[in-house]
Amino acid sequence: MVSILRKSRTEFSPAGPASLPAGPVDPGYMMRVEDLGIRYDLRLTRKTTIRGTFRNLTKISRDDRSFWALRNVSFEVAHGESLAIIGPNGAGKSTLLQVMAGILTPSEGRIEVVGHISTLLTLGAGFDVELSGRDNILLAGAFMGIDAREMRERLPGIIEFADIGQFIDAQIRTYSSGMRARLGFSIATAVDPDVLIIDEVLGTGDAVFRVKSQRRVMELAKAAKGIVMVTHDLNWAEEFCNRAMLLEKGRIIAEGSPAEVVALHRERSDRARLERDAEIARQVAAATA
Amino acid sequence: MATTTRPVRRIQTRARPGPIELVVEGLREIWSRRQLARYLVQADMIKHGANTVLGNIWWVLDPLLQMAVYVLFVAVILGKGGADYPLFVFAAILPWKWFSSSMSDAILSVTSREAIIRQVKFPAIVLPVAATASGVVSFLFGLIPLFAMMLLFYADRITPYLLLIPAVAAVQFFFSLSLCIVFAAINVFFRDLGNLERHLVRLWFYLSPALYATKDLDPAKYGILAELYKLNPWVVLFESYHDVIYAGPKGVPGPPDWAGLGILLLVSFIMIGFATFVFKRLEPAFAKVL
Repeated sequence: MVSILRKSRTEFSPAGPASLPAGPVDPGYMMRVEDLGIRYDLRLTRKTTIRGTFRNLTKISRDDRSFWALRNVSFEVAHGESLAIIGPNGAGKSTLLQVMAGILTPSEGRIEVVGHISTLLTLGAGFDVELSGRDNILLAGAFMGIDAREMRERLPGIIEFADIGQFIDAQIRTYSSGMRARLGFSIATAVDPDVLIIDEVLGTGDAVFRVKSQRRVMELAKAAKGIVMVTHDLNWAEEFCNRAMLLEKGRIIAEGSPAEVVALHRERSDRARLERDAEIARQVAAATA
Repeated sequence: MATTTRPVRRIQTRARPGPIELVVEGLREIWSRRQLARYLVQADMIKHGANTVLGNIWWVLDPLLQMAVYVLFVAVILGKGGADYPLFVFAAILPWKWFSSSMSDAILSVTSREAIIRQVKFPAIVLPVAATASGVVSFLFGLIPLFAMMLLFYADRITPYLLLIPAVAAVQFFFSLSLCIVFAAINVFFRDLGNLERHLVRLWFYLSPALYATKDLDPAKYGILAELYKLNPWVVLFESYHDVIYAGPKGVPGPPDWAGLGILLLVSFIMIGFATFVFKRLEPAFAKVL
């Protein structure tokens, strides 16, 4: 508890027109990440209980038990660019998206975002399953801070793109995971963001919606919007992103054309797998000897 | 396109803001996101109405059934309780149901929205505020059986003082708001707070003059405890509700304890400031812990 109180926190300069700096405003990028670092305090684990805390308190002095999920991460996203972030599980990809969305506070470094940002992290997970699709669209808009009138104007477009028919007035609990994903995608891309942040969306949904959502992403990219996405679909990264970044253990390993970075990622993960297999083989051999 | 002017937003570490700054920021967030709070209250109403067969009927039935239980226990079995005891109990159950449900909803308000907190940047302080406000609706529904009961059985107790119920309720709202905000934040870090809270709230109910009147207690018997008892905010609140609905010190409905309510309101505002400070200080860690 005490250590949280000591943490520094995020600053958001108010995003209204009044806060526009004088002079030329276009900085030439949509987003710039500078020397970003995120540190987790491992004492703040999930779902603590009061008893658990007393247990932990007795351990405080032993080590400081913090962990850098991201360190020394710097990059820029240019106008119209779609950047794919790839990497093995636990590389810090989702953490990076959360910082960019303003949900997590950097422990060091900074991010500059030009314009309005929209996030699509773990599609549809934020839905209230007891409400209808329609109510969820309005609620999502309110969470994102979009004016109610504006949201109601966008409602028909969102419903049409999600293509879930009569289900729009049914509770979300009755939706298939594909329908949830479609609705989530539809909401996040309908709000006309300047920077769109996507976490593994395009693998979900059926083939038809895949094509449709790919087209929507391409449109957004063409309209000089920046897109950052985390994906396990390496083909997608190669085909539709114009840049890729490989993250491992919270550090940038490579950055460049998607083809090259994806090739490097495949090579490295193959090698890692071989090493793991060899290690297991060694252990098995040692155990049987 | 590149020439369009767009605001630049910076996300970075900054020196820890002072308490006043945090409180002002928190209150401003609540105000600027009142739309979200309203949607959350509406969502809550839809869920409460849609999930049960009888729907909103329960909002009317619930306090009535609870009253029946207490009347059976105190008046019939123990043979205690004064004249028109059902009305006396009902006048206390109604606000208490609002308070206890606000507390239990608010405690879970942040943790139950963990998915959206990890996805979208929004001021989480709106969540406990909405949970507290949701209770107002069930309180208003509870006034229906209250007035029905008074018209049918206790017409002699109907006075213009009934119009002062909203004034007492307003003080209750601000008082519970402060507790709800602070508990919602703490529950993120201690998930078993809800268990503890349930028992504490129940204990609090029996320690407050809901089923009995303060004047029934013998001060000589309790000594210093009797003085401490008066510090309980629910003494002021319950007595005020009893004053305007059931009977004041003169045996007929009268004005509430204005001085007590005024002090409690002032204390509540200070507590809201403190609660907002605690909440805002802990908020940056929510996404990491959830």
